[in-house]
Amino acid sequence: MSVTVLETKNLTHVYSKGTTSQVDAIRDVSVKIEQGELVGIIGHTGSGKSTLIQHFNGLLKCTSGTVLLEGKDIWQNKKNIRDVRFKVGICFQYPEYQLFEETVYKDIAYGPKNMKLSDEEIDRRVRQVISFVGLDESYLEKSPFDLSGGEKRRVAIAGVMAMEPSVLILDEPCAGLDPKGRETVLSLITSYREKTGSTVLVVSHSMEDISKIATKVLVMNNSELAYYDTVDGVFTHSSELYDMGLNVPQLTMLFLKLREKGYDVPVNVYTLDKAKAELEKLLKGGSDE
Amino acid sequence: MISDITIGQYYKENSVVHRLDPRNKIILTVIIIAMIFCCKNFLALALVAAVIIVSILFSKVPMKMFFKSLKSIIPIILFTAILNLFYVSGGKEWSFWILKISEKGIYTAVFMAFRIILLIVASSILTYTTVPTMLTDAIEKLLSPLKVFKISVHSLAMMMTLALRFIPTLIEEIERITNAQKARGADFENGSLIDRVKSLIPVLVPLFVSSFKRAYDLAFAMSCRCYTGGDGRTRMKQMKFGIKDIGALAFYAVSFTAVILLNKYFGALI
Ligand SMILES: Nc1ncnc2c1ncn2[C@@H]1O[C@H](COP(=O)(O)OP(=O)(O)OP(=O)(O)O)[C@@H](O)[C@H]1O
Ligand SMILES: [Mg+2]
Repeated sequence: MSVTVLETKNLTHVYSKGTTSQVDAIRDVSVKIEQGELVGIIGHTGSGKSTLIQHFNGLLKCTSGTVLLEGKDIWQNKKNIRDVRFKVGICFQYPEYQLFEETVYKDIAYGPKNMKLSDEEIDRRVRQVISFVGLDESYLEKSPFDLSGGEKRRVAIAGVMAMEPSVLILDEPCAGLDPKGRETVLSLITSYREKTGSTVLVVSHSMEDISKIATKVLVMNNSELAYYDTVDGVFTHSSELYDMGLNVPQLTMLFLKLREKGYDVPVNVYTLDKAKAELEKLLKGGSDE
Repeated sequence: MISDITIGQYYKENSVVHRLDPRNKIILTVIIIAMIFCCKNFLALALVAAVIIVSILFSKVPMKMFFKSLKSIIPIILFTAILNLFYVSGGKEWSFWILKISEKGIYTAVFMAFRIILLIVASSILTYTTVPTMLTDAIEKLLSPLKVFKISVHSLAMMMTLALRFIPTLIEEIERITNAQKARGADFENGSLIDRVKSLIPVLVPLFVSSFKRAYDLAFAMSCRCYTGGDGRTRMKQMKFGIKDIGALAFYAVSFTAVILLNKYFGALI
């Protein structure tokens, strides 16, 4: 039923190999990502998240191991690496710094143009993605440099979405935005996935954000893959996540503390409903004594 | 990779050469460059090479660092040598096919190649042993007489310091933007020359935008810390001209005299 889109086998990447500043950025990562999932990638600073995702579209070449896209090694034919980049779209951290055209329209059209699409198709895509990111068409004629930070961010994300990649990867799309901006970006990511059915990978520092939107969670720790599981599954390791220096949601924190105090509660609690149910159960049990 | 540039990199070590007054190091470098240009025969050139090797030994910078900085200019050396080989005539001549090589041509080619190598190595000693900021401070001090002509030496030096400071930042930025545009299908490797120049626009525009922004931020941060230019500014680290500086200067002066004498008594090759 589930089809694997992206797969890595024993992926290892070493920066500046053979010099004194050699770093193992990722070590022996093997993971299968299924079609249509929304995968949250989390891990502490420097755990290798950005390095990992740059392998998915061939921006980095692994030191050893393989990356398979739809079952084919992406490096099998070097000339086709651009096609891989059209299938796997990456939007980097702070993407607003990559805008360069005179108008928002032209900037969004840059990716599709590189794909050599027809003008009508480009026009259709530009108008579609600008609505995906929640901006109206009056924005298309504005200069990208006149927009606010959050709007620029959305235009940049639209620029990657316009290539209609089958896998969309976003590196910390919420970095530096206020709570409302974060919410907007998160919701546009989920609605994009619902509308297009594509696979989406989101890198984030916030377990809270990830737990709200993701179907699967990939946890990186010290350059290695720690967990790859459903949100529920990963949260059963809440205390380990906390030890890895991740900011687990406050609700989960509460349940971790309760458990420390000797109460018999589960630790994979991250939604308000579940927390309420569990607390009620606990209180009822408590009143019996 | 762009980040492999080694010319102008500092090599950390605590040697006599590192501790010389940076002003003096600049003067010494100028002297040795003058020496290289004064050499008229191989003996004189060998003497200069010896002086440079002694300086390197004192600096404790490993020889392989110098080979690294030479590697990038091998094409220039070869180009100069080949030009000299074919264009200089005199002495015995050999010709094959349409090419003609003369005895003098061979000598000149080898001589020129050595000269360039020595020039690069000599100037590398300066940059390997002196932090860029010290270097610009020293240049500011050395050029300060120009103030008489109403030239703002301090501003020039400050601009140089800032430019040097931001080179690594810019390289990092270029890499970041290049990756982002590659992810959108930019193609920097294929196509005609015009296509390739055009493909740079998506990198250059964001680079300029962020550089200007950085420049404004920096200017603002500097004025917040009461920077008003060079007048009345004092230094935390004063430069001192000490005994070892006089020693180094004397060593170079003696060598220079020797070079002139060698030129005089052993004839001129070129
Ligand atoms: N271009 C590079 N050259 C050398 N080392 C690098 C380079 N990029 C990253 N590294 C190193 O590789 C390791 C992993 O970096 P990476 O950027 O993948 O981490 P990250 O998980 O994305 O961190 P963050 O959450 O801060 O973005 C770090 O130790 C980093 O110092
Ligand atoms: Mg990162």
